[in-house]
Amino acid sequence: MGTGVRDNEFDVIIVGGGITGAGTARDCALRGLKVLLIERHDLATGATGRNHGLLHSGARYAVTDRESAEECIKENMILRKIARHCVEETEGLFLTLPEDDLAYQAKFVESCQAAGINAEIIDPKEALRMEPSANPDIIGAVKVPDGAVDPFRLTSANVIDAKLHGAKVMVYSEVTSLIKEGDTIKGVETFNHITKQKEKYYAPVTVNAGGIWGQHIAELAGAKINMFPAKGALLIFGHRVNNVVLNRCRKPANADILVPGDTICLIGTTSSRVPFEEVDNMYVTPDEVDVLLQEGEKLAPSLASTRILRAYAGVRPLVATDDDPSGRNISRGIVLLDHETRDGIKGFISITGGKLMTYRLMAEWATDLVCRKLNSSETCVTMHTPLPGSEKENIDEISQKTWSKPGATHKATVGRHGARAVSIGLNDEYDASLVCECEEVSVGEVRYAVNELDVHNLVDLRRRTRVGMGTCQGELCACRAAGMLADAHKCTDRAKNDLKSFVNERWKGMYPICWGDTLRESEYSQWIYSGVCGLESEGCETDKAE
Amino acid sequence: MRFDTVIIGGGLSGLVCGIRLQKSGKNCAIISAGQSAMHFSSGTFDLLGRMPDGSVVENPLEAIDRLDAGHPYSIIGKEKVARYATEAPDFLAGCGITVKGDAQSNSWRITPTGERKPAWLTLGDFTPLTSKNEKIGTKALIVNILGYLDFNTKFLADSFEKQGTVCRIASIRLEEMERLRKNPSEMRSTNIARVMDRDNIWEKAASQVKEMIKDEDVVVLPAVFGLKNAETVETMRKAIGIKTVFVATMPPSVPGIRTQMTLKAEFERAGGRFFIGDSVIEADFNEDNTVKSVATYNFGDIRVYADDFVLATGSFFSKGLIATPEKIYEPVFGIDLNYEEKRDGWFDRNFWNRQNYISFGAKVSEKLNTYVDGRPVENLYAIGSLLGGSNTLYEGCGGGVAIISALAAADEILHK
Repeated sequence: MGTGVRDNEFDVIIVGGGITGAGTARDCALRGLKVLLIERHDLATGATGRNHGLLHSGARYAVTDRESAEECIKENMILRKIARHCVEETEGLFLTLPEDDLAYQAKFVESCQAAGINAEIIDPKEALRMEPSANPDIIGAVKVPDGAVDPFRLTSANVIDAKLHGAKVMVYSEVTSLIKEGDTIKGVETFNHITKQKEKYYAPVTVNAGGIWGQHIAELAGAKINMFPAKGALLIFGHRVNNVVLNRCRKPANADILVPGDTICLIGTTSSRVPFEEVDNMYVTPDEVDVLLQEGEKLAPSLASTRILRAYAGVRPLVATDDDPSGRNISRGIVLLDHETRDGIKGFISITGGKLMTYRLMAEWATDLVCRKLNSSETCVTMHTPLPGSEKENIDEISQKTWSKPGATHKATVGRHGARAVSIGLNDEYDASLVCECEEVSVGEVRYAVNELDVHNLVDLRRRTRVGMGTCQGELCACRAAGMLADAHKCTDRAKNDLKSFVNERWKGMYPICWGDTLRESEYSQWIYSGVCGLESEGCETDKAE
Repeated sequence: MRFDTVIIGGGLSGLVCGIRLQKSGKNCAIISAGQSAMHFSSGTFDLLGRMPDGSVVENPLEAIDRLDAGHPYSIIGKEKVARYATEAPDFLAGCGITVKGDAQSNSWRITPTGERKPAWLTLGDFTPLTSKNEKIGTKALIVNILGYLDFNTKFLADSFEKQGTVCRIASIRLEEMERLRKNPSEMRSTNIARVMDRDNIWEKAASQVKEMIKDEDVVVLPAVFGLKNAETVETMRKAIGIKTVFVATMPPSVPGIRTQMTLKAEFERAGGRFFIGDSVIEADFNEDNTVKSVATYNFGDIRVYADDFVLATGSFFSKGLIATPEKIYEPVFGIDLNYEEKRDGWFDRNFWNRQNYISFGAKVSEKLNTYVDGRPVENLYAIGSLLGGSNTLYEGCGGGVAIISALAAADEILHK
């Protein structure tokens, strides 16, 4: 529509740079709206980047939450097409252990089929051939179309497309208040953490896509949403133990999903209600670590001897319905609130609940409502429009087309950026030299991320490129990348403080599991950064979002 | 197999102890798994840079008096520490390693990120500063080797500029380096040093640097020269012609590796046996609670006997200590350790704060004898970073503890 005449006027303002906000920004932009996306930290810092990265088949919810299950399988099939460079088609297994009730399997399969999920009972022996790391004692196995999805990549791809369609994206900008005239929200007031400026932006519709933090944004508008902060803790292991997603065939409980992703695998989750005041600082407790290990080893016994890389926790943005202490029984369903009909507040909607898997559908619903409010008749196209990077070819085809002799680094780069990798310079030796050996991230890729993908610090860079996500957790690559950021941002003090914050952020995921090799790695990091480099805490942000 | 003394661990403390014993007539073996902390050396050995209360130490020998009774220096005793610290430069010179420094007055080193840290002995490659804020020159030319990412020129320039030095950053490009640059993970310090050593390529590097100098009075270079020979560094200085300051790089450390190789060669030249790539897996004890023999991976059934054993296996990183979710233990002899039992007490949530686990380690007598189940083991000594009682990182005393405990344990064995 492009009705805005000034730089700070838009058709729609979307608050929250998680996958829901990014998806909504893309959908709105594809429908021709002038979009502003505002995020107070970096993209994907909240629940979006703190989950399993599981491309749910929906099977997990088939028995307890039919609606979510149906949404999941539909979106699963869509994401395989539109986000192929973010998705790994691994398949999934639901395993019945001797201690589980095999009778549940029949009910499970029946529910799956009713929800449209292709669930197939297979011989446990066949399941073990399919996934040799699975517990050999299993007494039952069901094959389902689970997969893995990289949430950082998915968010980034949505933001790239939104920008390609004219959206303005502002990270490190925090909404401090909503501009309200009478009963109508006219826009937002923000504080830009980079420029330290207060700014005002106007639009006829503001979308609250703040996840768990959406409760606070709704409060700014004068509306009340009762969120149910349900903390989920996960452990990352140092390599891919499994190539097929492993689930327990029982009612959803703690630590019953093991997902492979890139070079690692993840076990999770726990579920416990946390006070709203704590949602910005999630610490993983020793008890949570113990439960995850105990249960995880039942799915894949070799986890007992596999190095743990990190522990982390996210907060599910569930909307409270009853007094369920664990949050497991609350629907993972989508909650779209039109505050005009609900609370008499015009120009303001909230999109929450839901899950990573259903982000596109959430965005579709939210954008439909935005369009209704703006009297636009544009319809949604995101279910069949590939994301940037996923247009056509697979990794090998893109690599062959782009480089005469694609090496491992080239393929890793294409794996992360899909067809967008063609704009990453990797031909010159300097560009091809590696910043991060664990994850094969080159100088060229870092430069591309800094220039094109809204990277302001090392943690942002990690989310775009996987720098520092490998076994060493940023031992040397962090310092190399800090040097490159110092160059790009022309400020060495900032880059050095950033390096300290990055090392501290990596430590946050390591101390809950600091024994064995993790403690060895930490001691080495201490020697390098505190000892050899002599860096001290001054200037370090200690509680930055992960 | 029988030796007078078997030393387990081939790092700084194991080698210093071995050289001292071997040169004094003991027949020694060192069993080493491989790399040591010297492979990521800062370029200096520290004696004591900071007190546990955080205050900066100017005169380490004087400050040692104020340390806790459990600190390795307190256990060894002030007089001995002073004697060994004073003797250390000559000891190292006797091994072919040139160092500068004074145990009664800390100097300062420039770190890879441009910080200034207290130092005791500085390897000949580097230029010790007499004060924390010393200016290295009026105008500095900071030169990197194109494509080398572990030398952070920006951080260094920024830190020199804060002292009033005007900096210019440049890089040299050598055709001999192109083969390395073609492989994206090869541009690392030791590979560069090997190419530089080959056919004296460093001469070309020096002349390129010399041509770049305009009106600068100091050149800053990464310490990636002379992997085999420390003299290379001196010759480069002369060839460049003006003050040249080498700064330590991110690991691996070329001067550190050279130092370790020099010590190892010295030990072997004195007649010691250095078994590399081997690990001790278990030990058996005599009835009087002394160690009888040890078994290693490589020697299999052939046990290694000795009168005395020295444990210099380091802390967690080198597997001298093992941490599990439940406990911390020493894997070879199961010696008694000082550590906090609750895991919560091992660490601080802020990486940059003092981490308690660094100070965990072996419980020892004043003769540096270890204990098993509360009983002293008269012929088993613990030295180096395996020792508990000091937060070597926070206090800046890792090098000093390694060298001094090694000399002290060697003398205990010699004077038995």
